[in-house]
This record gives sequence, structure tokens and C-alpha cells, in this order.
Amino acid sequence: MIKVDDVRKKFGNIQALAGVSFVTSDGKTTALLGPNGAGKTTLLRLLVGLLQRDQGAISIDGLDPATDPIAARRSIGFLTDQFGLYDRLTTREHLVYFGELNGMNRQSIARGIDEVVALLAMEDILDRRAKGFSQGQRIKVALARTLLHKPRHLLLDEPSRGLDVMSTRALRRTLGALRAEGACIIMATHVMQEVTHLCDDVIVIAKGQTVAQGSPADICERTGIASLEDAFVSLVGTDEGIA
Amino acid sequence: MSNKFSIVLRKELREAFRDRRALGVLLMIVIIYPLMLWVALHKIIDMAVKGEHENVALVVIGASQVPTLVSLLEQKNIKISARDDMSEPDVTDMLRRREVVAVIKVGSKFTDNYNAMRPARIELWFDSATDQQSKLHRVEAVLHNYNAVIASSRLLAHGVSPVALTPIQLQSYDTATNASRSVQFLGALLGIFFAASFFFCLNTAMDTTAGERERRSLEILLAQPIHSFELIMGKWLATATLAIIGLMLELTVAHLILKFMPLEEIGMSWRMGWPMLFGMMLCAVPLCLFAAAFEIALAMNARTFKEAQTMMSFAVLLPMMPTIIVPMLDLNTSTWMYVVPVLANQTLLLEVAKGQVVGILPYVLTIGSSLLAALLSIGFAAWRLRSEKYVLGV
Repeated sequence: MIKVDDVRKKFGNIQALAGVSFVTSDGKTTALLGPNGAGKTTLLRLLVGLLQRDQGAISIDGLDPATDPIAARRSIGFLTDQFGLYDRLTTREHLVYFGELNGMNRQSIARGIDEVVALLAMEDILDRRAKGFSQGQRIKVALARTLLHKPRHLLLDEPSRGLDVMSTRALRRTLGALRAEGACIIMATHVMQEVTHLCDDVIVIAKGQTVAQGSPADICERTGIASLEDAFVSLVGTDEGIA
Repeated sequence: MSNKFSIVLRKELREAFRDRRALGVLLMIVIIYPLMLWVALHKIIDMAVKGEHENVALVVIGASQVPTLVSLLEQKNIKISARDDMSEPDVTDMLRRREVVAVIKVGSKFTDNYNAMRPARIELWFDSATDQQSKLHRVEAVLHNYNAVIASSRLLAHGVSPVALTPIQLQSYDTATNASRSVQFLGALLGIFFAASFFFCLNTAMDTTAGERERRSLEILLAQPIHSFELIMGKWLATATLAIIGLMLELTVAHLILKFMPLEEIGMSWRMGWPMLFGMMLCAVPLCLFAAAFEIALAMNARTFKEAQTMMSFAVLLPMMPTIIVPMLDLNTSTWMYVVPVLANQTLLLEVAKGQVVGILPYVLTIGSSLLAALLSIGFAAWRLRSEKYVLGV
């Protein structure tokens, strides 16, 4: 479970986050929906402890990433839209590396690799070097390394950007499976389709502030607008930056 | 928890040894520097050896007037070809083309002056730009000997002892030993060997920092449960390992070359043994640590590999400066030299090769200065990696 309470963050003169508050629960996929520049990436980085907040409280299963980032990260899997693979390493070597970094021993890594390979159908690329992988293969490796240590919380930053249909379906399948297992998934996105199809809960963010939180149906009810996209636009006050 | 750096170290080393370009560059440098040394020495030895045994050829104009000189020259294995006369342009031409080492012209008035006991002129024509010093010296030696022989016999004929000609007896003592002479000469060349440590690990240093940024993999790494200093330490040690391997190989090859070349031919010797050489290599390990740390601290500021390459091509000159400038200044070895990283190793090697007794202080300073520089550099890199500004640009 992730709790965020009145978090603020300033970069020089720019107030990136001006008071964000929400709660996400286990077994749910929550969308962090907002236009470009709303502060989604900054918020995710604060959750992982890459940046320090100016004010407010963050709790990830009770841990504060500002005071104990290492412990907090153990229960987090972070996936960005940049896959950053090492061309000279094989898929297996990637997974072993990240498994070891997450403190897994050899047997758990081996078991983890078996599970993740089955989940993502990666047998063919397991022992191939990453040089020359297609986009779909890359995201499989990126997903695999994120899930290997069975994190309780998944933070995804614009995950389906640049993905083809097959890869998007694989991603959807995986997220569904994880949700069923009780993971707490936060997906930062500005793609409406993803929100309506994948997410149980929506947090609307604009200009660094939470504007609304609720299921897609709730949002529509609250604004009295049938389409989520229009509801979102009316909440945010501008249609700039929506896909 | 603190040995997470070894996870990073193993992965970075595995990647580095699969980088064919980096390994290729490493091998090339390991071979090229010692090869340059071999070529330079070989040429010098060759010239020295040939110089002693090669024949010297002369042209003598008016040889009929100086039969004694001719026979003295021939005794010293100098070939004479007699000519009647040659114009100055012809002489210049012949000397420039190195057909002969020198031309001796005995003028028409020679015999008259000689018989009248007036100074009888002999002209020695040579071309100093053709670089035949040793051969020319042999000719001049014969001429001086000729002069002395005539003078002594004339004095003797007048009842004066020829000893009157040499009131001062000059005794020369050269305090340079074979070893010290060679070391002065080999000095600058050997200094470059240590500076090469900066080139051995360059590729890895750039790949492991700027390369990660370019691949956009650094953000993910920083989001793992590992401290940033463990991350940088693994990368640092992997980079340094490459420098150490390269330097050890290079010094071994250079040592073998110096050991098996006939240096005695040029009055030089290389008396360093394997244990001493190994000691030098150990002293160079902190230097490799510094090279790696320095390059990582710089390269991490570049956003792409190419940007790093441009930056580093200038930056690497900096540590090499002392090794080039100081030998040119021709200073005496003093303590401050052991405090400057690359210069320290070079100076230490030279002093030990000369056969000097070196106390414990130079070793301590050499190791300490590089180690300190390394720790400062990597400390800076670790701090930078944690800073918010850096993370935002990752």
C-alpha cells in the first residue's frame, strides 16, 4: 500500500508538485492520469527515493523512501519507458544482475527466472545477447527484470509508449496476473485507452496537485460527463497534452 | 550489504571483456609503445655497430705530396681514392651525397712550405649535416696523429725531447656508469609507459558512465536497492582492473625488450630484475586506480559516449603533462617529484633502474599520492551521482 500526503517539490522557481495526496491499495491498478508537465514522473521518482521531497509524507508499506530508500526499494519494481539494456549481456545475465542487486540468492534467482520466462514467453531470447533485440523483446526483458524479485509495488512510467499491439497485450496480461496476486500497481500515463481498459482507480493530477481520485465510473459520475476523456478535460481545465 | 559493489564489479568486468573495441585498443597500446622503444633503440644500436666496422672512404687531392699521411690513413683501414683536382661545387656535391666522408686537399704550395718548416696547409672538407661524426673523428684522429708524428721527429732531429710537446697530461674520468647513462636516455620514453594507464581504461570509464546515460539505463540502476557509492565503486574497480592488466602487460613486454637487446653496443645496460619490476608494477596499481577514478569523475558528466570522447581527449593530456615537461627541464631528482602521480612512478622506475639506493619515502609518496588523488576523484564522483541535479539529467 502506498500513501502520499500533501507532498510538495520545487525545482528552482518551478513548483513541480504543489500538494499531492492519495492512497493506493494492494490488488488494484491505479492510474496516475495527467497532462504533460503535471508532475507524474517527479512523483514516481520521489516514491523510489531518487529525489527528495520538500514537504509532506510518503509511506510505502510503512517505509519512507527519504529516510530508508534501500528498504523501500526492495518492495518496488520500477519500469520506465526507456528500457536501457546492455547489448553485450544476455537476457539471463540481465536478470541475474538485477536479481543480485535486489538481494536474491542463487536459487531464488533461478526460480524467479523460470517463472518470469513462463509468464512472458521469453525462452527464445533467454540466452541471446541483447544487441539487436526488437522493441517487443526489449520490453519483455525490462518487464522481467522489474518483476524478478516479486515486488509488492509496481511503478510504471508511461509503460506502453512506443509498444506494438503484441507487446501491449503481453503487458496487459502480465499486469492482470500481478494484480490478481495482490500487487499494488501505479501507472503514470496520459493515454486514455490504457486507463479505461486496465485501471481500477484513477488519480487525476494537474499542475502538481491532485484534482480527483476514484474509479473511472466515479469520475464520470462526479463530473456528470459520460466519456472519461471529456470528464478528465473538464477536471483539468485544458485538453493540452492528452493522447 | 556492503559487498554489493562486487555484484556491479563482476557485471562491469564481464561486459568490458566482451567489448572487442576496448580490448583491441588495449592490446594495440601494449604492443605499440614497447615497439616504438624497440625501433628507436634498434636504430641507435645499428648505427653504433656499423659505425665501428664500416669502411671510411676519402678523396685525397694531391696525394703524391703526402705519402706518409696516405700510409697512416691506409693503416687505419681508410680507403683513399686520389684525384687531381675538384672544384668546390663538385666537392660539396660529393659530400652531400655521402660518397665519401671527407675530402682532403693538399695545396700546390704544400711541399715548399713543408720543406721550409713553415706551417703547411692541408684542407679537410666535410659536411656536418650528413651525420657521420664517428667516421669523421677517425679521419681527424689520423690527421692529428700525423701532425704529432712530424712534430716529434723534427724536435728529435734538433735534439729536443718530444715530451716538450705535451707539458700537460690530461686524465679524464667519466663518473657515469653504463646504467646511469642509459637511464637518462630512456627516461622520457619510459615515462610514457606509465601515462598509458590512462589510455588502457579510457573506453571502459566512458562506457560505464556516459554510456549508461546514453542507453538510459542509469536511472533504473539508481532505483535499485543499492547505494550510489556501491554502484560507483564497482564501476571504478572494474575500470581500474583494465588499466592494471594493460600496464602489467606493457611493462612486461618493455622489460623483455630491454633485457634481450644488445644494449652493451651503445654502452648502456638494463639491470632491473623481475622482482624489482614486479615491485614497480605494484607501485603502479594506485596510479591505475587514480586513472580510473579521474576518468569516471569526468566522463560521468557527458550525456553520450561521443561527448565523453571529446571531453576526455583533452582531459587525459593533463596527467601526462608532468612526464613530458619535467624531463625537458633537466632537473635533479628531488622529493617533490614523488608527489606528482605519473611523474612519481616514472622517477621511481628510473632511480631504481640506475641502481640507486632508494629509501622507503619515495615508495610511500608514490603510492600515497596516487591513492589520495584516486580517493578524491571517486569521492567527487560518488557525491555527484547522488546530487539531485545529476539525477534529473540521467
